[in-house]
Amino acid sequence: MIDPTEEEKFAELNALVRQLPREIDPPADAWMSIRSEIDKTRPGESYTGTRRAIWQRPMFLAAAAVALVAVSSIMTAAVLGWDAGITRPRIVTASQRPQSKPQEPGPATLAEFASVENDYISTANQLSAVLESESNTLSPETVAKLKESLRIIDAAIIEARRALAADPGNRALIDMLNTSYNQKLDLLRRTTEMGRS
Amino acid sequence: MLKRVVALAALMATVLSTSAHTQTKVNRGIRLDANGAVRIYNLGGSVKVVGWNRDSVAVRGSIGKGATFHMGGGHAGMKMFVEDADERNPAAANLEVFVPVMTKLWVKTATAGIDVSGVNGSLDLYVVSGDVRVTGSPADVNAEAIDGTIHISGSPSWVRAKSASGDVTFDGKSSDVTMSTVSGKVTVKGSAFEKAKFESVTGNITFNGTFERGGLINFDTHSGTIDIGMPAGSSADFDIVSISGGIANGLTGKRPSVGRYGRGAELGMSAGGGGTRVVVRSFKGAISLRVAK
Repeated sequence: MIDPTEEEKFAELNALVRQLPREIDPPADAWMSIRSEIDKTRPGESYTGTRRAIWQRPMFLAAAAVALVAVSSIMTAAVLGWDAGITRPRIVTASQRPQSKPQEPGPATLAEFASVENDYISTANQLSAVLESESNTLSPETVAKLKESLRIIDAAIIEARRALAADPGNRALIDMLNTSYNQKLDLLRRTTEMGRS
Repeated sequence: MLKRVVALAALMATVLSTSAHTQTKVNRGIRLDANGAVRIYNLGGSVKVVGWNRDSVAVRGSIGKGATFHMGGGHAGMKMFVEDADERNPAAANLEVFVPVMTKLWVKTATAGIDVSGVNGSLDLYVVSGDVRVTGSPADVNAEAIDGTIHISGSPSWVRAKSASGDVTFDGKSSDVTMSTVSGKVTVKGSAFEKAKFESVTGNITFNGTFERGGLINFDTHSGTIDIGMPAGSSADFDIVSISGGIANGLTGKRPSVGRYGRGAELGMSAGGGGTRVVVRSFKGAISLRVAK
């Protein structure tokens, strides 16, 4: 069961998302690069205006869909934990610890972020459902504190999301939103695992 | 007078008798390889783990009425846990566990505090609302709490410390550190940080120390303050953005500018010749850089 205030916040967030433009043109220089690549790989067959854009071709769309599903699944599995069915987490030795990798660039534009955000929301909903079904394993005091922490993160997300809607090109805001969503998912994942003895 | 003495004696006898009934002593031991794995599960009370130079595990302490202490395993790994008659309302069990120094340790509790010292293997520590304290130089530490505090002091090479409403504190040296909390405080004092991430949502972040050259350090908060103190002459390349909070630069004379999106403040600068990238992000918390005394 989702907290009514949380529902309101999601509704508010969805309303903000609906206000965003449905389409954003790719940067002009990006298209020029793609075009030059096409011209390079197909000598003598240069792009014409009648040809369908590369990202509108069925093969490209199919591949993109597969990639999205794969990425989403990996993300969900990673957040839920590969060994979610195992009641106790395994001991990981020092050599097996995931070492910090150089930071990979996150979504750079509002359009890219909107796609990632859908995954975040979907995964958070899944984790919230798991947590709700197992909430009797935690004390009421802990559940109250957890909900308060989640409320704080949601408030931060909503505030940053509003600012991003007003300033869609702000990369720093996108980075902050990414961090806030990751914190939320991480807290939900940790609590879900913690509740299991 | 005599009646009073007799009554007092009777009362004391009752109290002692009750105490004896409600607590059961534990005193057990088992052989374990020097780098064997140990798992401890205890809901309430306390778990104190101490590393020692022996190839064995010894446990002493007490468990509550109705609880059962289980322990077993082989030379490569062993586990112990306290089984409570009422898991939703566990009686306090206080365990002091001596393990080989290089043990790979896993401890999980609910309200029981965890205190680990002198263990140089890997540590995985999970607590719901108790506090975690680690002292020494374990190979790596992963400590997670929901509303408990986490305090780590020493020189683990790899640290992950995460709480929700509790404070997280680090005091020492480490090359790879992540410390995260939602509303608690993040307090860091130390050096040798090469890859580090300090983040909160509303909690304040305080850093005092130096970074390793060539490293990447991230500070991130929504509305907490970020206070970074470094000794004079310390080197770092700062990339600071605050959406609506202020930036106070007490390290160099450079002033922050209005953000590139027409709001907030930004500051990009090198201190002490640079060499370590320090990225600081805040939505509305104040950011300050200062020379540490």
